[in-house]
Amino acid sequence: MSDKMKDMKTSSASRRTVLVGAGAGAVAAAVPLRRGLAASRIKVGILLPRSGPQAQTGIDCQRGADIAPDVLRAMGYPELEYMLGDTETKVDIARAQAEKLIDAGAHVIVGAFDSGQTMAAAQVCEQRNIPLVVNIAAVPKLTELGYKWVFRSFPTGPMIVGDAFRNQKKLFGMNGATPKSVALLHVNDTFGTSLAGALFALTPKFKMPYKIVEKISYDPYGRDFSAEVRKVKAAKPEALWAVSRLNDAIAITKELVRQRVDLMGILSTGPGWYEDAYLKATGKYGNDVINLAPWIDFKKEMARKMRDAFRNKFPGRNMNTNHGYTFDAMLIVADAFKRAGSTRNTDLQTALQTTNITNNTTIGEGIKFNKKGQVPHVPCAAVQNRDGKPLVVLPEYAAVAKPTWPMRPWTKR
Amino acid sequence: MTSLRLFFDPLAPAGLWLGGAFFLLLLLLPYWGGSYVMTVATTVFYLALIGQSWNLMLGFAGLLSIGHALFVGIGAYTAAYLFAAIGLPPIVGVLPAVGLAVLMGLLIGYLGFRFAIGGVYFALLTIAFAEFVRVMIDHASWLGATEGFFLKVTEADRHSVDLVNLRGTPEMYYYLIMALALGALVLCRYLLHSRLGYYWQAIRDDAEAADALGVDVLRYKMYAVAISAGMAGVAGVFYAFYQNSLFPEIVFNIERSIEATLGSIVGGVGTLFGPIFGTFILTPLGEIVTEAIDLLKHWQVIDPETRLDGLKLLIWGFIVVLIVLFKPRGLWPWVCGRLRLIRTEAES
Repeated sequence: MSDKMKDMKTSSASRRTVLVGAGAGAVAAAVPLRRGLAASRIKVGILLPRSGPQAQTGIDCQRGADIAPDVLRAMGYPELEYMLGDTETKVDIARAQAEKLIDAGAHVIVGAFDSGQTMAAAQVCEQRNIPLVVNIAAVPKLTELGYKWVFRSFPTGPMIVGDAFRNQKKLFGMNGATPKSVALLHVNDTFGTSLAGALFALTPKFKMPYKIVEKISYDPYGRDFSAEVRKVKAAKPEALWAVSRLNDAIAITKELVRQRVDLMGILSTGPGWYEDAYLKATGKYGNDVINLAPWIDFKKEMARKMRDAFRNKFPGRNMNTNHGYTFDAMLIVADAFKRAGSTRNTDLQTALQTTNITNNTTIGEGIKFNKKGQVPHVPCAAVQNRDGKPLVVLPEYAAVAKPTWPMRPWTKR
Repeated sequence: MTSLRLFFDPLAPAGLWLGGAFFLLLLLLPYWGGSYVMTVATTVFYLALIGQSWNLMLGFAGLLSIGHALFVGIGAYTAAYLFAAIGLPPIVGVLPAVGLAVLMGLLIGYLGFRFAIGGVYFALLTIAFAEFVRVMIDHASWLGATEGFFLKVTEADRHSVDLVNLRGTPEMYYYLIMALALGALVLCRYLLHSRLGYYWQAIRDDAEAADALGVDVLRYKMYAVAISAGMAGVAGVFYAFYQNSLFPEIVFNIERSIEATLGSIVGGVGTLFGPIFGTFILTPLGEIVTEAIDLLKHWQVIDPETRLDGLKLLIWGFIVVLIVLFKPRGLWPWVCGRLRLIRTEAES
């Protein structure tokens, strides 16, 4: 029987115990004692949206967690045993699942991709005194509310936006081609409206060399983007900045090609334009797009080990930020457990507070939390799609390719 | 006491015994259920409260709303904002919260009924208002906009029992929502058998006939919307202080509104216990399906390596479809009939 199967047996049996309620009170009472024991492995509850609207991204994050135990064991870290909780992309389910994982014996919770669901899990973890290591969630307040059990190595929204501007300036400077006008095209859901609003408002503050000449929003469930792309064409911008999701990114690219809207470049902040499904669906037309996002630094040893394991387990897939940050969350847990030497919650908390990891997988100097449980500065990258692969082109220290800027016209590909 | 007597009167001995045993089980749940079961039960009571308020509109007065998340959201944001901005405790903040929810209900109701917008068109109006308010809050930076609105919780808060400020342990939240849901049940029982309730049922069955008999249809429909919105507003106040974080996309999402309807539809629209019974079936059903999948993996009937994410939702949806197809009046009337939980008219 594989280790994983054993893990699943353990988790299943515990949960059944909880469901029938047999002696659950006694179990709860015994939990602090159990946590006090020295252990050779730590139980990690992984909380992700693996069904519902965010299922694809949640499952993608899960891939990062799937490869972590073997890679980390090979690097000298202790054994990680994980249990899965599906939030179903709902806040109340996230809360219940966090409780369930803790009842089933999880010493640490990792998750939960979405800010709302992570907030719900944070409430539970604070109440139960269990560390929550956030893989992905950008809402700044998460580490501003005085939580003592929440730790996040992912950048906050303002960090992502700030670096998007800084990386653009570098990109333009490196290649001597600076757009004077940009059209901002964004999905009009909460995520898109919020991000586009921030980008629009901060453009003058960052003294960007261009003007946003058109701000176009569209319905997240839209299928036909001919009107939106026609608006872009009419505004005659030199570059397009998109805040999209997956299906709209694909449809917009096809429409840009169909209407022959040649641009100096396409910049994207947010998901969609770097995802595997996008790269497969758009083929050569998906190339040259610049994604301004948190990313993996493949110059780091840990990232290369992760990539090798990922290629073995998920051949044909590209790695992205979901894998990197979820893997890093597992690394943070393993590192804290290694130093704490026990699964006692307070020992783990102390170890997490003194985390100092330099050999992680994502871009930046490493992982060191401030008093709020946040890594103070997490740099983001400019990632360009090249031959169907997203490659880091900025910052220079993490770059694996030089940027192609301006991008090639649609007809010369 | 009159409403309590009214409440217990229709129950047959079997109903009294079963109901009493179930109530006792729920009352002692924190002692036998563990945190997870208690969290699920808290969600059940919360959904039952909203379901009861939705049922009051459709089941009693025949007014279909698919935007009930609006009233919940208004209650939540109002109480949370007043608490965060001026320190108004929710026990007082619930009044303006409910007031605003009622006002919004009255506005929608007036627009709908004054201009004879009924049926699905009224339902569309409720959705439109929910979306409208969501977009407004998306742009209201003083309410956190899309970034969310948060209530601070201190370490001491988590281990206290402070009903004035709604700060405390999960047990406190569980008993509070249980009391609110049961209070809503008693209120609905009282209303249903009051003059108001009979007017509503007359309007529901035939508004024109009720009008011809002298029932002020506009006024009594407005009462239904106002009371329903107020009850949902109370649920919103609870939600805000239980979750401590509010995101417009989550709070006002149409999925939340649909969730509010499901318990009542499965339990039995227009019945008193239907919304509670329906949510007690639906929410644990989802959890049982998850456990069943885990068991099948454990017994190696299914390969443990197989990922079956989302299967729960499929099975859950299928069971709901079966219930709606074969028990269109809901499960509660059927269960009552089979187990003789309610006195028949002859017995009364």
